[in-house]
Amino acid sequence: MKLEVNGVNREVRSEPLTPLLDVLREELDVTSPKAGCHAGGCGACTVMVDGKPRRSCLIPVAAVDGASITTVEGLGTPKDPSAVQQSFIHHYAAQCGFCTPGMVVAATAYIDGGGSDDKDEIAKAISGHVCRCTGYTKILDAIAAATKQTEFDITIIAPDPTTVTIGGSE
Amino acid sequence: MKAVGARLPRYDGMGHVTGHTRFVDDVRVPGMLWAKALRSPHHHAAIVHMDTSKAAAMPGVHTIVTWEDVPLLEYGHLSGLGIPADEPLLARDVVRYKGQPIALVAADDEETASAAAAAIEIEYEERPALLDVRLAFDEDAPKIHHWGNWYPHFEEEMDVRQIRKGNIDQAFEDADKIISGVYRSSAIEQAPVETQVGLAVPEPDGRLTIYSCTQALYFSLGVVAAHLEVPLNKVKIVGGTVGGGFGGKVDTATDTVIALAAQKTGRPVKWRWTREEEFLASSTRGPWHMEIIDAVTNDGWILGRKMLTLHDSGAYARFSPYGLTKHSFHHTGAYTIPNLHFDGYVVFTNRVPSTAMRGFGVTSISFAGETHMTRVANELGMDPYEIRLKNANRVGDTSPNRIRYTDPSTVDVVKAIANAEGRDLEPALAGMTRATRSGEMLPPHLVDQLDTSEGSH
Ligand code: FES
Ligand code: FES
Repeated sequence: MKLEVNGVNREVRSEPLTPLLDVLREELDVTSPKAGCHAGGCGACTVMVDGKPRRSCLIPVAAVDGASITTVEGLGTPKDPSAVQQSFIHHYAAQCGFCTPGMVVAATAYIDGGGSDDKDEIAKAISGHVCRCTGYTKILDAIAAATKQTEFDITIIAPDPTTVTIGGSE
Repeated sequence: MKAVGARLPRYDGMGHVTGHTRFVDDVRVPGMLWAKALRSPHHHAAIVHMDTSKAAAMPGVHTIVTWEDVPLLEYGHLSGLGIPADEPLLARDVVRYKGQPIALVAADDEETASAAAAAIEIEYEERPALLDVRLAFDEDAPKIHHWGNWYPHFEEEMDVRQIRKGNIDQAFEDADKIISGVYRSSAIEQAPVETQVGLAVPEPDGRLTIYSCTQALYFSLGVVAAHLEVPLNKVKIVGGTVGGGFGGKVDTATDTVIALAAQKTGRPVKWRWTREEEFLASSTRGPWHMEIIDAVTNDGWILGRKMLTLHDSGAYARFSPYGLTKHSFHHTGAYTIPNLHFDGYVVFTNRVPSTAMRGFGVTSISFAGETHMTRVANELGMDPYEIRLKNANRVGDTSPNRIRYTDPSTVDVVKAIANAEGRDLEPALAGMTRATRSGEMLPPHLVDQLDTSEGSH
């Protein structure tokens, strides 16, 4: 079997029924898709299969023989991050980072498919993705912003206009 | 100081969004074996017979670690504080919760390890299980540990965390009304998206390197070295990137057992829990049973509080005594009650052991205490904001454990909530500050508890 992974052709020797997730992680050493549940429930293993977001833990590799697979590493690099990746950093949408590869792939697919900055629509697009850290708000903000903008400041040190001071001064 | 109040980029943000962050399961070393556990299928049972020989002889199996391989079998997470050891690393003759690990198989791959774990011959004799903390506290409840269902874990013979302050009998004599309530909170699984995982690598110099998802590196270091009975410098723990923990990765879940498997085989061993194992066997926030009886006056002062707390520690104590201690110090919440009689017990049940989760010990009393404040207000026919502001902690008030509050924020928080709800408070309440009590806000029953010293403790 063969896969094109992030633009590189790879030979696959795993058993045909091996989940695509295990082929990527254990055979091909592409470790960005994460195994949060191995049962289709968390979305952390999401990759693009021929441009569409799919849960790689649920797909037997034989079913996608010859397909083109894009993981989050294939969307941008630390030297040249994509708009979605920059927006996630700018908006603090990645906390522990474990759900992030799946979230960024899903967000990219949503925007590539012409998705708008409507938060309800975005919430629907990532509804199968579990994040235990962020509370989702920052992820929605990041995706909404990335539908409109392609560059984000990811190094800025500036006063935070949303900082709130609590309490009296006596 | 340019960082204060500023937006700083996350130092690990770029790694997270580009998939370059390395979590424990992403670490690759050559020659790695894979581990799977035999876990108890019962909440409570005696192990009457176990034979690992057939499983150990299966092709691809390298070792099976059982209690016999553990140098220090019983460990207490808080033994440094004088709390006795109660938990075996691997069950020996009794299992006290469903999912408790009994043996760990290290094999060429996870399928082989699972098959071998299932092939271990084991016979149980089921015992009655206690799954409710209140029922486990009954005198005639079946016993989970040989000393009973709670034990002396604080100073000497004390089997209870007590707080005594002021004159509780006087408070109840002086009360216009006595208002009681029972509050219970349930277990919560922290449910990080990364399940428990560890990788132990034996080094040529005899040391062990352990890649760990722990939230508490130095803690795990101590736990592993203690069980293995080796000096700390024989173990190196590599951590740093945790795929979510929320307290659930404070207890050392995988590191010690894989360390033993790596020692036995001389090979690296990785053990990663399935989502099902995570929900079944990883420690949770514990349930609490809280009974509050308040002595109150018709104009809304709380003169005294009697309280009984039962903290469900699950089958083993771990950090629960610490959680209960925090709970006792906070059992009046954000309010000042001068006369107190608090008894708290760490009670064993046949649940998975309880552990840390954001403010454990304190969130339970916040829930019970705030619910009770509203109940008191309702029974007196009073405004719930007024009763809170009256009894709110002020500068110079003292906590249940006699700490002087130097900068309590109750007044500001209650006023902010009223504001957010669009409530107009009476001028006397609206003008209230956290400053030291005086005038009408210093009734006779609150005079003696004031700490007028200027310094902070
Ligand atoms: S690992 Fe595939 S959905 Fe959770
Ligand atoms: S950032 Fe931790 S699970 Fe989403």
